[in-house]
Amino acid sequence: MSVLHEGSEPPRHRGTVRAPQSLAGGLFLIALAALALWLTRDLSQGTLNAMGPAMLPRWLAVGVGLSGLALLAFAFLKDGDRLERWSLRGPVFVIGAILAFAVTIRGYAFGPLVIPGLGMLVAGPLAIILGGFATPEARLRDLVILALSLTPFCMVLFGDLLNLPIPVFPQALTGLFPADWSQKAVLRATAAIMAVAAVLVFLTTRGRRRASIDIADHSGRI
Amino acid sequence: MGDLVSNLSLGFGVALSLQNLGLAFLGCLVGTLIGVLPGVGPIATIAMLLPITFGLDPVGALIMLAGIYYGAQYGGSTTAILVNIPGEATSVVTALDGHEMAKQGRAGVALGIAAIGSFFAGTVATLVIAALGAPLTGLALIFGPTEYFSLMVMGLVFAVVLARGSILKAVAMILVGVLLSTVGTDLETGEERMTFGLPFLADGIDFAVLAMGIFGIAEIMRNLDHTEHRDVVRQAIGRLLPNKEDFKQSYKPVLRGTFIGAVLGILPGNGAVLGPFATYTLEKKLAKDPRRFGRGAIEGVAGPESANNAGAQTSFIPLLTLGIPPNAVMALMVGAMTIHGIIPGPQVMTKNPTLFWGMIASMWVGNLMLLVINLPMIGLWVRLLKVPYRLLFPAILMFCCIGIYSINSLPTDVMFIGLFGLCGYMLIKFGFEPAPMLLGFVLGRLMEENLRRALIISRGSLETFIERPISAGLLAVAAILLVIALLPSIRKGRDEVFTE
Repeated sequence: MSVLHEGSEPPRHRGTVRAPQSLAGGLFLIALAALALWLTRDLSQGTLNAMGPAMLPRWLAVGVGLSGLALLAFAFLKDGDRLERWSLRGPVFVIGAILAFAVTIRGYAFGPLVIPGLGMLVAGPLAIILGGFATPEARLRDLVILALSLTPFCMVLFGDLLNLPIPVFPQALTGLFPADWSQKAVLRATAAIMAVAAVLVFLTTRGRRRASIDIADHSGRI
Repeated sequence: MGDLVSNLSLGFGVALSLQNLGLAFLGCLVGTLIGVLPGVGPIATIAMLLPITFGLDPVGALIMLAGIYYGAQYGGSTTAILVNIPGEATSVVTALDGHEMAKQGRAGVALGIAAIGSFFAGTVATLVIAALGAPLTGLALIFGPTEYFSLMVMGLVFAVVLARGSILKAVAMILVGVLLSTVGTDLETGEERMTFGLPFLADGIDFAVLAMGIFGIAEIMRNLDHTEHRDVVRQAIGRLLPNKEDFKQSYKPVLRGTFIGAVLGILPGNGAVLGPFATYTLEKKLAKDPRRFGRGAIEGVAGPESANNAGAQTSFIPLLTLGIPPNAVMALMVGAMTIHGIIPGPQVMTKNPTLFWGMIASMWVGNLMLLVINLPMIGLWVRLLKVPYRLLFPAILMFCCIGIYSINSLPTDVMFIGLFGLCGYMLIKFGFEPAPMLLGFVLGRLMEENLRRALIISRGSLETFIERPISAGLLAVAAILLVIALLPSIRKGRDEVFTE
């Protein structure tokens, strides 16, 4: 994708920084090198005959730092690309969704704050709906249907068919079902309920859908 | 020759068992299903689907993974032809003429010739692997740590030369990759390096986590920035089977593509990437009327697609014989093999012949499956391609989370794909290409180990690398390549190849 728009000329220099992209890249590399050097400060270097733990990381960090310095120098000497357009919305929601999944799947404790393990049942829809808002074109209704249909699919696929050791639902849920039901039976029942809910949401909100989706689909955008 | 036949028949005996046939079929099917989604390349596909192979025996798991790989690769070509979005570098060239053909209502023929060319290339490449496997494994036995280190240096130099864009940035990425591989407990002294005192970093950064972050999550963030036009072909797909005229035009490009792709695929350092580009350039030079290229020339699809598939397959050679993964996909295969308790390298063939030959035979079976699955199922793929991205990426996101969690059952792994995703997104924005970094990461640990051993043997003398003939030869090739790549005239040519 990125290779195909080669036509845009690099902008002629405005001000002292002639290649802002290289400048940013150089600074990033130097910061990384500095971090690595700082982290290995207490480790022994050793000799070539018996290399210490710090020798290779330190050499590499120096190499990374030198590349960074070179990029920095080129940024003032040669014309280059501008920084691409950034958006905060995408990364913020995507990272947020990942974090939400990570803390709810098995439970997580931040000091005094303890999040109970809620399993795929909660973590999946959370990731889908939260992550879905990373694009301005997000529509809650579609995301809810997606979450309600994809989560039971994954629950059955990973939890039931493949037997992966992944928490599927919070333990409290088993209390809602008859006591003699096995874990698998609870899993299947929950998945079925979710799938039915997805169909219900789809059918009940159908009327409103037509008006809005047509407009978006004709724009042909991703 | 007799050996080759008996080995292959042993392999086919394994690969053609009902269970393994089923697994190869399933692998190809899911691989294509995920790989066909725009913006999901083979690396993300394999990383996402790795957990579903956990419950299988090693042979079955690797057969299924290989199937997933071919499926993802072919799915990428399908997307390139139908939507003009190449999933990864090797299908960029296919998009040029393939999508033009699709616009002219010849999408079916383009997909058909791609599948047939790939099948032919796959057949040849399978034979190449079977023939070269044994002698190269012998070669591995005369390789000491010094030679291994030099070979890996050469591989990394290849990766630098083959990377897109600035050479300086590619070098920096390789160094960062090797640096990342040194995180974790030092193998010799047991001291923790750069772990921030976090216990889950003591074993180092998990490769699947890094790959998923950089190729799965970062890619999602990047795609969200580009609200690009997705022009799924509106024309009819047309007939699938190429006619006599098409065959006449494309059989020579298929032969040439297969040869070039197979040779380049063996090179360490992701030589497979170069195959399709080289073939396309060659076909354009050889054509009577080069202006047809870029306007729907069938040779422009047949050649590069064959090269692509041949390279994808012969890149298994360095992994299976020397234990060195030549690119990121093969590195994931290493991860998968280690999970099943197999350490890739020359000993696999001798200690585990059913696995080795079974996998090689299953490559051919996988290629046949692709032909069988893809041609009748194109209608389904087209429908899948019309799913809007706003619904696609939350699903991909959840699959990534579930996939990475189930590898180690660690919530921190899930958090780290977010962190690496963010880093990868920044790197892309700063104009770095992440693929060389991943290769550096993969080879980093092996390199450190071999460097240490080589230096212990030579009592701390760096001259050992140029005193031993094989090592010196490998380093010389690396140096020459680097110099050539830096020469201004060649650099221009290189830029042209990559922008074409």
